[in-house]
Amino acid sequence: MRSRPPEAHTHAEQWAATTRCRVVGVRRFGAFAAVELVAPGIAATARPGQFVMVTVPDGGFLLRRPISLYTARADRAGLLVEARGAGSERLAAVEVGEAFDLAGPLGTGFPTHGVTGALLAGGGIGCAPLQFLADTLAGQGAQVTAAFGFRDGRQARVAGAFDLPRLWVATEDGSVGRRGLVTDVLSDLDVPASTTLYCCGPLPMVAAVQRWAAAAGLGGYASLEAHMACGTGSCHGCVVDTSRGLLRVCSEGPVFALDEVVAS
Amino acid sequence: MAVDLRVKLGDLELEHPLIDASGTFDLLEIARRVSGDYFAEFPYAAYVPKTVTVDARTGNPPPRVTETASGMVNAIGLENPGVEAFVEGLPALASLRQPVIVSVGGNSAAQYAAVVERLEEALVAGGSTLPTVAGYELNVSCPNVDGGLSIGVDARATSEVTAAVRALTRRLLIVKLTPNVTDVRSAASAAVGAGADCLALVNTFRAMVLDPATLRPFLGNRTGGLCGPAIKPIALRMVAEVAEALPRVPLVGMGGVMSGRDALEFIACGATAVAVGAANFTGLEAPRRILDELRAECVARGLTRVVDARGAALTAGA
Repeated sequence: MRSRPPEAHTHAEQWAATTRCRVVGVRRFGAFAAVELVAPGIAATARPGQFVMVTVPDGGFLLRRPISLYTARADRAGLLVEARGAGSERLAAVEVGEAFDLAGPLGTGFPTHGVTGALLAGGGIGCAPLQFLADTLAGQGAQVTAAFGFRDGRQARVAGAFDLPRLWVATEDGSVGRRGLVTDVLSDLDVPASTTLYCCGPLPMVAAVQRWAAAAGLGGYASLEAHMACGTGSCHGCVVDTSRGLLRVCSEGPVFALDEVVAS
Repeated sequence: MAVDLRVKLGDLELEHPLIDASGTFDLLEIARRVSGDYFAEFPYAAYVPKTVTVDARTGNPPPRVTETASGMVNAIGLENPGVEAFVEGLPALASLRQPVIVSVGGNSAAQYAAVVERLEEALVAGGSTLPTVAGYELNVSCPNVDGGLSIGVDARATSEVTAAVRALTRRLLIVKLTPNVTDVRSAASAAVGAGADCLALVNTFRAMVLDPATLRPFLGNRTGGLCGPAIKPIALRMVAEVAEALPRVPLVGMGGVMSGRDALEFIACGATAVAVGAANFTGLEAPRRILDELRAECVARGLTRVVDARGAALTAGA
C-alpha cells in the first residue's frame, strides 16, 4: 500500500469525512505522545468521549486506528497515542509538520448535562478522553476529581500530559503515587452521593470500577475500547457485551452506562 | 475522453462495475448519520447489504477483527436481525436509485429457500414501497448443518442450495463461492448447473491470529476469514480459473480491491463486476476514489469502454 493525497469528498463537513490535519505540537511522555493538530471542524463539533479514526501515515497499514479525543480547544484537536503495536508506534513517532488523515468525531460522547460533581477514573491510555471531559465539566462549573491507575512508573509518565486540578495516581508496583489499583484511590476519596462517575480503560478495570461504584451507590458512564475495522457502524467488528446484547463500540458506544457493561 | 463504465451482470445493467462486498458497507447506518440525501451520493452501482439468515443471529463473541500483514482477519459470525426484520427495514431503502442484491445465508438448502421465499412474498406485496431488489447473492461460506463444513466446499451441497433458491425466483441469482477449496471450478460448475446466473468470488480465506502475549487464538471464534490486499493475487488467479472454465458466466470478482487498478485487474481476469470489501474500512471516500481511479486507468490505456478490458489476462480463446 502507498500513501495517498487527501481523498476528495463532496461535503467537507460531512459525517466521517476524511480530513488531512497538520500536526502543530508533539509532547512525549515515555511511550506516549500528545499530538496537537489543526482540526477546526472536529474541534468545533466534538463532545468529550468521542473518537476519530486515524490513518497511519506512509501506507503499510490497512485499517485506521480509533483514538479518542484528548483535547478540543479553539481550532485544535489533541490526541494521546500510546505506542503499543506497529501502527500506534508509527503514530506516536509523529513529528511536528507532518499531517494525519482524521475522520470524526465519531461515536457517542459522555453525557455532561446538569452534572455538578464528577469523579473521573482512568486506566492506562484510557485516561486520554478524561482531559477533554474535565475541560468540558470545568467549563460548566462542575467539581472534577480524577483518579488514574497505571501498571508501573513507565506507564504513569503519561500523567504528565494532564492538566487537572485534583488528580490522584496509583501504580500497581507502587513506583508512582499510591500502590494499588485505581479503585484503591477511589476508595480513599470522600465523594458526595450526587457525584457522577466517568471511567475509561480496559475491561478488567471497568469491571473493578463497576463493583466499586455499586458498593458506593454511584452511577455513571464507561467508555470502552475495542479493535475496530470500519469505525463507522458497518462491519460489526467492535462489539462488546452489554445488558442490551452485543453492541458496537463505534456506534452505540464508546460511551455506555456504567451498569450496562458486562465486563466480567 | 469519456469512458463507458456500464456493464451487464446477466440481465442486470449496472452504471459501472463496482458494488460493495456484503457486510462491509451499511448504507442505512451511514445515511442515518450523514446530513442531506446520502442515497443520492451512494457510490456503488448496486447495494449488497449484510447477509440475511432466516432467524436472527447474534454473531460471534468478541474480539471479532484484527489487522494482519496487508490484510485483516474477521469473524463477525453473520450477525443479522433475521429475514423478518430485514423485510421490515426494506422500505427505508425505497428511494435508492441503484438495485439491491440481497445476500442470503443459511445452514441448509431449506434455510436459504425460506429466506428467499419470504422476500419474494414481501416484494410482490410491497410494490413501489420497496427498493428494486434485482437479485440474490447466496453466501455459501456458512457451515452446513450436515457435518459443519461450509456448504461451498461441497459441490453437491452448493448445487442443492442453488437449485432450492432457483425454484423460487426469476431474479438474478449469484452464488458467492468460498476459496477454501482445492479447485474452485467444481463448486462453480455445480452452482451454474443448478441454475446460478452469475458467480461471485472470492469470499475470505480461513485464517487464525494468535494473541502474542498468551499464544492463544486472538479472535473470540478462534478462526476467522482473511481479506484485504494480502489475498488479491490468489483471488485474481481463482477468478481467472473460473472465467476460463466457464467463459459465458458473468463473474463478480473480489478480494483486496483497494484501487482502480486493482478493480481493472479483476476485470482483466474475467470479472464483469468488482466488489469492494475491506477498502470500505479505510474511509467513506474509498468507493468514489476507486471508481475515479478505474475511469482514469481506462483513459490512460485508451479504453473507451471498461468492458473492453474484460478477459485481457486470460489465455487466448477463453
